[in-house]
Amino acid sequence: MTQSSKHLQIPVEHTTLKNGLRVVASPDRSAPFVTVGVYYQIGFRLEPRGRSGFAHLFEHMMFQGSENAGKMEHIRLINASGGLLNGTTNYDITNYFEAVPSNALERVLWLEADRMRALKVDDENLRNQRDVVKEEVRVNVMNQPYGGFPWLDLPPVAFRNWPNAHNFYGDFVDLDAATLADVQKFFRTYYAPNNAVLLMLGDLDPAEAFKLAKRYFEDIPVQPKPPRADVTEPRQTEERRGEVPENLGPLPALAIGYTAPPRTSPDWYAAAILDRALHGGRSGRVFRELVLEKQIALETDGSYDGFDTNGPTQMVTRIFHRPEYSADATIAAFDSVIRDVQEKGITADELDPVKVKFRADYYSMLEGGMGSYMPRFGLMHYLACFTLFDGDPTRINTVLDGFLAVTPKQAQEVARKYLVPRNRAIVARTPVPHATPETTGAAR
Amino acid sequence: MTPSTSTKTRPAAKRKSSAKKTAPTKGLAAVTTFIPAKAPATEKSKFSAPPALGPERPVAWPKRTVKTLANGLQVVLAESHTFPKISSHLYFRSGNAAVAHSHPGIAEITAKVIRTGTATRSSRQIEEDLRRMGADAGGSAGADTSVISINGLAEFSNGILELMGDLARNASFPEEQFERERRQKIEELRVERTTPGFLANERMRRVIFGDHPYAIIAPTEEQVAAYQRSELEHYYHHHYTPANAVLIIVGDFQSERILAQIEKVFGTWNAPTRELQINPAPPNPEGRHVHLVHMPGTVQTQVLVGNLSITRRNPDWYRVVLANSIYGGAFHSRLVMNIREQKGYTYSPRSGVNALRQHGYFTVHAAVRNEVAAATLTEIFYEMDRMRSLPVTPQELESARSYLTGVFSLGVATQDGVLGQLSTVYLDRLPENYLEKYRAKIHELTADDILIAARRHFDSANAQIVLVGDRDQIATQAALFGPVTEYNAHGNLT
Repeated sequence: MTQSSKHLQIPVEHTTLKNGLRVVASPDRSAPFVTVGVYYQIGFRLEPRGRSGFAHLFEHMMFQGSENAGKMEHIRLINASGGLLNGTTNYDITNYFEAVPSNALERVLWLEADRMRALKVDDENLRNQRDVVKEEVRVNVMNQPYGGFPWLDLPPVAFRNWPNAHNFYGDFVDLDAATLADVQKFFRTYYAPNNAVLLMLGDLDPAEAFKLAKRYFEDIPVQPKPPRADVTEPRQTEERRGEVPENLGPLPALAIGYTAPPRTSPDWYAAAILDRALHGGRSGRVFRELVLEKQIALETDGSYDGFDTNGPTQMVTRIFHRPEYSADATIAAFDSVIRDVQEKGITADELDPVKVKFRADYYSMLEGGMGSYMPRFGLMHYLACFTLFDGDPTRINTVLDGFLAVTPKQAQEVARKYLVPRNRAIVARTPVPHATPETTGAAR
Repeated sequence: MTPSTSTKTRPAAKRKSSAKKTAPTKGLAAVTTFIPAKAPATEKSKFSAPPALGPERPVAWPKRTVKTLANGLQVVLAESHTFPKISSHLYFRSGNAAVAHSHPGIAEITAKVIRTGTATRSSRQIEEDLRRMGADAGGSAGADTSVISINGLAEFSNGILELMGDLARNASFPEEQFERERRQKIEELRVERTTPGFLANERMRRVIFGDHPYAIIAPTEEQVAAYQRSELEHYYHHHYTPANAVLIIVGDFQSERILAQIEKVFGTWNAPTRELQINPAPPNPEGRHVHLVHMPGTVQTQVLVGNLSITRRNPDWYRVVLANSIYGGAFHSRLVMNIREQKGYTYSPRSGVNALRQHGYFTVHAAVRNEVAAATLTEIFYEMDRMRSLPVTPQELESARSYLTGVFSLGVATQDGVLGQLSTVYLDRLPENYLEKYRAKIHELTADDILIAARRHFDSANAQIVLVGDRDQIATQAALFGPVTEYNAHGNLT
């Protein structure tokens, strides 16, 4: 592709405060809103052993009160400014973010600084949020057909090292065991300015925004560098398989995950393009072959979190297949798609449109990425990951070139090197047979 | 199908909460421990109060180019140049409600099969054309609307429009694609029958809308099995017509240039339009009634409370929306504060006014652990009755007005946000300046307006209660709130 001049350039300015807090600003005056995020380099992969689900429970605690903004003040102040907020827990990062009218920028910074400086929560808050988190797990996983499939199912099968392989939402017994002392320790260890990045996007002047960031954040004391858990995986030598009962849904489903190349290695770019060639919508090879052509599956999709992970990560295919086909027959059909790529490769005629679509998806992600209600969520998210993981937010403007430069030969080589049985795990979600089905007449 | 909507790879922990302080600590909480501050105490004064808001910058909704072509197609264009993309949606003002009593779900499967073939393009060709233009296509139908959407790179806007025109005018409904979509729909229905949220909505619509087409949100397996390809073609020819359509495009283009292209692609499209039937409002159900949908062994109860309400065209619309945001429509609302942040019954309670085009309805939902189903209902009605009895505080009023106008306007920052707001205006035939006036309309509302809205539209005495859960765990609790009717997961009386 020789379209570099066509590529969007996002203005990015960045600095580091004396306490180590990295600050990134990206102005865009087209609408009177700002999106603000604080990303801490801690996620569920790194939570303490015996405390599965803790990183996420802790994320809830960050909304329970800080030194000068008591329980609910944070949320009330953002809502009353005309804005929205949320937080998510991920493998290697936890984020807190707001989209507000731009006249509330300073207020948002005050709130984020207040909770980075001093969380102020008690046992009652912890009990309350533990209950809330349990209901979250029930509604999203236990009481939902295919809940947690495959993000909770695959890691324990695919990986051997606890940080990569445990239950990220948390076993209830571990959630119950969490104490306020754990909360305190976790906050002190990981929620330090030197373990975070502040992002400010939208209707702002970077120089003024930096001044505000300095005012509210710079005197938050630096903390010792948090210990980095060892997330390396022992070498895998054979295919791994697991089975999880599906208590509600009627269709058998498979998740096939291949451990992906390390972040920013040359293979990483090729793997992302290969992923799109396989899983990019209905023209992706997996959907085309399994759903449209052979009609073994009713639905397939793929996911690969290459941008926002910083440790062992999988390229995952999900297949909901027709019950009359066995799991083995379905896997065989999937394998023939993979084998075809490995043996015959992907021509430039096929790969070029994949790259055009990759570029379009990249722009869509930067603009929205979490629905239109959180503008520039994706831009914020990628800037944060490039800063925390790679030390360079300006990669937002160059990373695309690496993906668009992937050649058919590289895509084929990556398929041969990574899409092999000894590098994969397969989990089957198998419907639990129920009693005789009741009559299915028209609902009245 | 349903499973693909749960592609989420990580828990996105939604937060919801409200404006009050925690309940006073008692008993065990006497050992209240605070996380020690990292910062020296001297910092406290400097940062003890939140900074005031700066001067507000007005929201400027993009200028629209609106034109109705000779064939009746309404075109709405809005430029947005930040990202080199376009979002284009061709809406038709009819959906599943138009055929709910004769061919339930036909509008939806029609919308899905349209993208699988035209007179000159195979399914595979369409998908490859899309990818070449960096584009995604969608086809779907709700109760009132059918839509063909294509979003892609702005540099391919001509090709995107041509494909859109081809899908709108020349869909060929390939037999094997129709059969595949039919099979997929049947499996999707089977999954939906195991999804508590779906079962709750299905029952609520039945209960509230009675004989109105809005009562039916999904066909049965048998109905899908009986679909004829000719029925899809029939729906397509009668409803996918220019005079029944609104084409809305937002993105990185020059309006004049793209309008010329639209004329070229859609100008020769002629098809007669039949008038849509408006069905009279169903009678309001009288008295609280509990509808229990039995799902054996579930670990949670899906609670859904609702009553008939209004549409966006009703003069009370702004009032009820503001009342809803204070009641349970926002993170800091009373209900969320109560049953999530104080009591920990649920993760994601929410209330909303669902404005279908002919009639609206109000709902409150929460997924709660089985033991607190009755306690949750008690709080839902307590908060509803409080809204009906006492004026909201000045602080709540002010916060809610700012929240609503701010969040309404957030849409201006993305192409999809602008498109969504424009579609509301033009599909519901709201005044052209609806977006521009919204803020003033909300800000002029008083505590009295909210009281009026709550009394008129939060019909606590006649609210219908749907509970989806395990009968053995919740039947006794259900009976506390009125006569109980039980259904199975197929939606049938037991």
